[in-house]
Amino acid sequence: MAQMVANAVRQAGVNFVDTVAVLLPRILITASIVAVGWIIAMALKWVIRWVLAWLHFNQGCDRIGVGTVLKTADLPPADVIVSLIVFWLVWVGFLLSGVDVLGFTALEGMVRGFALFVPRLLVAIVILVLGVVCANFAWRATLIAAVNARVPSPRVVSGAVRALVLILAGAMALDQIALARTIVLTAFAIAFGAVMLGLAIAFGVGGGGIARRILDHWFPEQPRTEREEFRHL
Amino acid sequence: MADESLLSDELLRQLVAVGHVDILVGVPTLNNAPTIVPVVRAAQAGLSRHFPRARTLLFNSDGGSDDRTPALVRDSTPDDVETLTASHPLRTTHRITTPYHGLPGKSSALRMIFAVADLLSADAVVILDPDVTSVTPDWIPALARPVREGAVDFVAPLYPRAATDVPLVTQLVRPLVRAAYGWRLREPLVGEFGCSGRFAAHCLEQPVWANGLVREGVDLWLAGEALAGGFRPGQAALGPRVVAHATPRPGLPDVFQQLMSAAIACLEYHTEYWLARAGADEVPEFGTVAICTETGPVPDLQAMALAFARDVTALHPVLETILSAPTLQGVAQAAATAPDHLVYPDDLWAATVFEFVLAHHRAVMTREHVTQVLLPLYLGRTAAFLLEHAASSAATVDDALESLCLAFERAKPLAAAQWKKA
Repeated sequence: MAQMVANAVRQAGVNFVDTVAVLLPRILITASIVAVGWIIAMALKWVIRWVLAWLHFNQGCDRIGVGTVLKTADLPPADVIVSLIVFWLVWVGFLLSGVDVLGFTALEGMVRGFALFVPRLLVAIVILVLGVVCANFAWRATLIAAVNARVPSPRVVSGAVRALVLILAGAMALDQIALARTIVLTAFAIAFGAVMLGLAIAFGVGGGGIARRILDHWFPEQPRTEREEFRHL
Repeated sequence: MADESLLSDELLRQLVAVGHVDILVGVPTLNNAPTIVPVVRAAQAGLSRHFPRARTLLFNSDGGSDDRTPALVRDSTPDDVETLTASHPLRTTHRITTPYHGLPGKSSALRMIFAVADLLSADAVVILDPDVTSVTPDWIPALARPVREGAVDFVAPLYPRAATDVPLVTQLVRPLVRAAYGWRLREPLVGEFGCSGRFAAHCLEQPVWANGLVREGVDLWLAGEALAGGFRPGQAALGPRVVAHATPRPGLPDVFQQLMSAAIACLEYHTEYWLARAGADEVPEFGTVAICTETGPVPDLQAMALAFARDVTALHPVLETILSAPTLQGVAQAAATAPDHLVYPDDLWAATVFEFVLAHHRAVMTREHVTQVLLPLYLGRTAAFLLEHAASSAATVDDALESLCLAFERAKPLAAAQWKKA
């Protein structure tokens, strides 16, 4: 009996030593990959920040309105965000490669999955950036046109336009990365429909007078405003 | 040399029959039937009465009118009074009306008139606006004589103006052009003008006729080209300018957009010239401008001031990207004052306009948006000026406008320095 226990313990010890002997080099390789990956990712991050600064990337982002959105959301400047995205993509890539070396069956598919996910993530980011640019352009165009056309509450109107475009872009980006696709699409459809229905009912029931005033302003029976009667040129 | 492809064979035959002319009066038209007859009569009478010995041509370049405008130009005869009182010319005043090809617009018509003037070696060219019903025969010698006598190459008009008259010119275009180009030209938007054949030929040679600069703002470009091109400018006193547009005009936002875009496009085109200019030289005046005693219609200034306050608040996030912090603060303070006491100081307005010009040049946002955002500020400045001067005497108004121009001149060096950095 005692001999059996001793054999079992010895065998367990041998197995443990064998496992450690197999795993230790792998762990060391993984750690090396992760460490080298971190160094490469950090280097890339700084190189990209330097290149973007040289290209005046932040000024370009300010010009198309992305900079303003980032400031409003209390986020770092655009070049920092881009370099961080690159850093994490590269480092996570190395991390998963390192984990793959360990040979865990449960983690085997992760590298392939990540490789498939990265392009979709990049496309989603592009969609988001384009959405922000479009939303800002639409917001500014609506605001200026509403002010010059004497539409009541121009900031509300232009803000609503920007929110709609941003929501649309956000839904498209989430759909692109297939994150809870069904929930996102359903929620978006319900929310969008509810907002539109709500606006229509609110405007129809409570805003009849406003609608009349707007229509009277846009299609006057007689030219009457000081802008039109007074000759500026 | 004129680009003869602009001129059809039939037109060339007519021009060959005319031969060299001393004075060419050009009238660009497009559906101007309600107003064209008095213009043609005044031109005809002006040539007969003041230049009886000169070889003259009345040339109408038409953009394809469908309201019989060309026929009215061709067939209109002097009115009865003119027939009785005018001295009879010793030479025939030729009259040609012809359609121009290309995009409808004043620039295409002027291009053809300049081509004809160049081909016929005209000494002086006078351009009349077909919508101006107050034109008199005296406008022809006023615009042609300084050129014929060799005093100048380009004659801009001078009109008697009330305080409320055309604030887009008095508050914006005049001081901007004066400060930038360095010439005290009072009417840079030359609806009618006179010029030498040399200037017409020079304009023809410029590579601008196909682009938007000339299509949208040919009047302003011509004045700028005369100033920047080394041609001797002058300005001639004409009578009051009464315009009766035959066709509906675009609204103020569209007009403002077009005018500002044209003004800034001219500055872009003449960058080297205006950046190097300092101060503002006198432009010789021919004749004496009548003092305008009438006060024009005054808009609802209270409503304009209230709208200005609302608009500045609404546009604040956009203004932040265009104006410097001190200028924006000044504008916000002006907007915050009571409507009765709205004051938009000259220096603040000059800084505002130049900062918008720079924002347009740097393209800090879509360029159309930059010019559109300036409109509410312009209306605020106009309201402030009229609140102070709508009832002032002509001399006081002139002094105030001169003070505004000087403010623009003071603001120009900084703007020029920033333009160079951009």
